[in-house]
Amino acid sequence: MIAHLSSEQLAEYIVGYPSPIVAQHLQDCPACRAEVVNFREALGDFRWAVRGWSEDRANEYQASAAPAIPAAVPEPRWWTPSHQLAGAVLIAVVCIIASFVMPRHSEKVAGSDAVLLNQVDAQVSRTVPSSMEPLMKLVVQK
Amino acid sequence: MQLSATSELERAILRSQGAGPDVAILAGDFEALVRLYRPKVFRFALASLRDLDAAETVTQDCFLRAYQTRACFRQDCSMHTWLMQIAVNLIRDHVRNRRFQFWRRLNRTAKGLDVAGHAIADGARSPEMQALFNERVAAIWTAAERLPEKQRAVFLLRFVEDMDLLEIAAATGMKEGTVKTHLFRALRAVRERLGERI
Repeated sequence: MIAHLSSEQLAEYIVGYPSPIVAQHLQDCPACRAEVVNFREALGDFRWAVRGWSEDRANEYQASAAPAIPAAVPEPRWWTPSHQLAGAVLIAVVCIIASFVMPRHSEKVAGSDAVLLNQVDAQVSRTVPSSMEPLMKLVVQK
Repeated sequence: MQLSATSELERAILRSQGAGPDVAILAGDFEALVRLYRPKVFRFALASLRDLDAAETVTQDCFLRAYQTRACFRQDCSMHTWLMQIAVNLIRDHVRNRRFQFWRRLNRTAKGLDVAGHAIADGARSPEMQALFNERVAAIWTAAERLPEKQRAVFLLRFVEDMDLLEIAAATGMKEGTVKTHLFRALRAVRERLGERI
């Protein structure tokens, strides 16, 4: 008969592998039995507390990590009469400006085209290319 | 999660690659696997590291690694044990990396992440019982924090995750006898702490 259970013997029992001596002692000794019950209860409390705590932490973490849902932005309503009127005015203004700008632009283009064509014509109508002209002058002098 | 959106695709890929049925089942059920085991892995990581961000990172890494190495799962242990094995390794790596990071320890202390400070009220308990409960939990929480790394892992796997010795041995890569030794030492330390406080 052992006096009381040592820490190792108590641990043996708690873990679930008690030797026959330990098992026998626990049957005979109310003090050690109470000690075992107390320790088991404490470990059970610890398990319960850690599980609850972990669950709460997980929920908090997920709540804080969840992206904030942006407030719904109302879609622009283009079909309102004021918008339609503004659009029509804008288009009219653009058309008027374009009607003034486009002919001038085309006149400028036509003018520059004529100058270019004249230059081309002058180049093509030469008897010798411009790079050969100095040689031709020498030939003429001789 | 990205995996949930692509699970059909993953199944199709596995089918096309001619993977074994176990792997295909694992891939197909990965979302369910995450749903089922995520709280357990997170809880173990949080109780081990006591750092919310680190626990979340370890949990995500655990499932990512599980997904990446799912072909290596030989089914010689349960899925839970396999995931815990990955988690134990990740936590160990994390603790080693953190050992010299003073600012992280400081930050963690400042946050006061403590199960004992967490209000757990149970209407069925009298105020005296509640005080005793808080006192016990605080004592074990403090004792567990002071345990060496392996003892703490074994203690938490046994008394929080309810795993038996063989499962813990598989998860930690220790022999059953070694697990038992660590557990005995951890319990002795916890009991001493309980005796001091209560």
